[in-house]
Amino acid sequence: MFPWIKRAVVFGFPWPIVVLSVFVGPQDSIAPKEALEWMASMMMGAPAAENADLVRAIVWDIRLPRILLAFCVGGALAASGATLQAVFRNPLVCPYILGLSSGAAFGAAVALAVGFLPVYGSAFLFAMAAVGCSYALGRVGKAVTPVSLVLSGIIVSGIFTALLTIVQFLADPFRLQTIVHWTMGNLHNAEWKRVLDSVPLMGCGGVGMFFLRWRMNVLALGDQEAYAVGVDPEREKITMLIPATLAASAAVAAAGIIGMVGLVVPHMVRMMLGPDNRVGMPACFLFGGAFLVLVDDFSRALTAFELPIGIFTTLVGGPFFIFLLRRFRLGWAV
Amino acid sequence: MKDRHGCDASAGNEAALCVRNLRFAYGGVEVLRHVSFDIKPQRFTVLVGRNGSGKSTLFRLLVGLLKPQEGRIAVFGRDLHRLSLRERTRLLGFLPQHHHPVFPFSVEDVVLTGRAAHAGLVPKAQDRAAVREALEQLGIEPLASKPYTELSGGEQQLVLIARVLAQKPKVLLLDEPTSHLDFVNAHRLMALVRDSLCAHMTVVAILHDPNLAFQHGTDFFFLADGHVFQPDSGRDPWNSALLERVYGVPMETISFGNGAVVVPGDFSKSARP
Repeated sequence: MFPWIKRAVVFGFPWPIVVLSVFVGPQDSIAPKEALEWMASMMMGAPAAENADLVRAIVWDIRLPRILLAFCVGGALAASGATLQAVFRNPLVCPYILGLSSGAAFGAAVALAVGFLPVYGSAFLFAMAAVGCSYALGRVGKAVTPVSLVLSGIIVSGIFTALLTIVQFLADPFRLQTIVHWTMGNLHNAEWKRVLDSVPLMGCGGVGMFFLRWRMNVLALGDQEAYAVGVDPEREKITMLIPATLAASAAVAAAGIIGMVGLVVPHMVRMMLGPDNRVGMPACFLFGGAFLVLVDDFSRALTAFELPIGIFTTLVGGPFFIFLLRRFRLGWAV
Repeated sequence: MKDRHGCDASAGNEAALCVRNLRFAYGGVEVLRHVSFDIKPQRFTVLVGRNGSGKSTLFRLLVGLLKPQEGRIAVFGRDLHRLSLRERTRLLGFLPQHHHPVFPFSVEDVVLTGRAAHAGLVPKAQDRAAVREALEQLGIEPLASKPYTELSGGEQQLVLIARVLAQKPKVLLLDEPTSHLDFVNAHRLMALVRDSLCAHMTVVAILHDPNLAFQHGTDFFFLADGHVFQPDSGRDPWNSALLERVYGVPMETISFGNGAVVVPGDFSKSARP
């Protein structure tokens, strides 16, 4: 296939999904036609239908913030995963594996439990601490090997998950319900306030990663290779980890732990467009966003009761991770 | 008599690289001692020595990967350890040790990373021009869009050399640049260094094969027992007394025209019973 066709597919496919998702909902909800009529009446001043208020509430107050949040969360997680993979030169890492997600979840839960800390700030700080721990513990001698990094990440992730359980155990019952609800990875109670709180943070992280995307190519070749061309690898890693952690921790603080998006999407994009982060980074954000919106459409439309979206993404991502591990054993010389 | 203590450019010292009283030890084991030499600009200087003679250590000191315990190194009169990483990269280019990257970047993208110190956040048209020029110089434009990970060892080595050429340093340090190259490519690379690169940069190379060195190099340094020394001016670098000191075995020299080929005497076929 010609490269421009692949690019057209990757960059073109997200938009219709996002737009069409506005019309997706449970079967007994409003019909797509009603939503369309409401939009026409809003934009062109056509006479409003009888149930305009209901349609407005469903489309504007429920579906739109949810789609926007899903898109940004998916994009932030995927771009962050791509950054982590480039920075650590490790196709097996993602925000979930490195403990970033559990660190952010713990930070957000602490903030929710005590009630006076800023949720997003606390999530960011603990996510940063978790990634730092994973990297420091993964060091064997002078080098961080791919396997030791994954192992230390799993351990750090486990510790923060345990700490999160302690917070849940100690938290006062009224707040506990909020915390449990949110850690399962949920988008169903998205509202405009949550979108307005989290989207700017994910946007900032995304923009930061976008600007650093070519520098990621330099770093992805190796520490000594980067040093040889005038890039201080350790300083550069920290510079890139800050926006990656900001985006992913805001995503976790907004929607809970949604696994696998940060791992699977960068691989899909790399398979289609190659490893160059100059195209890969924006593609990851768009594709990851559309992927989560699509998965969320299924979770909204298929069942009357809503399953947390994290369950769907893990069901898709788990088998894919095993496939990658097998390929890693066979083909990749690390 | 040349000044053995300063590397000051203003004192008329025009050396591209100036090394004074360098001492380096790995955990108490002295590898280099009292090493002083000058490398003249726009020459092809070759360092020759046996395994473990400290060549690679000297190289790592020259590019700043290691810090000497004593002594100083200056690049065009500027102290190496006072340069910022970016400044150093524009003056000094070196080949990192051969390794296999994880992601299958295209050859073009690998070479483009050589422009990191020039390009800032995103490479521009002049960076892509430098990449094309480097690929053409080495005759590897046909590889441009191939994944680096699928190339042979020799091709990968040429790509890494193209990367350091795209970096456009003033001094190019090559540690074993021909180790993975076939006979013809090795000579082609050496001829390229001698004929076109030395017109605008200074090249220093470690070579294991003294015959390759003698055929293409312009200046020679030898390393043995932690010391660096030069053939006396006016004498050929392949005189056997000198080479026996470097290699520690008797050497036979076969002269031809204005060159020579050397063979270690102990192991040549004629020495066999």
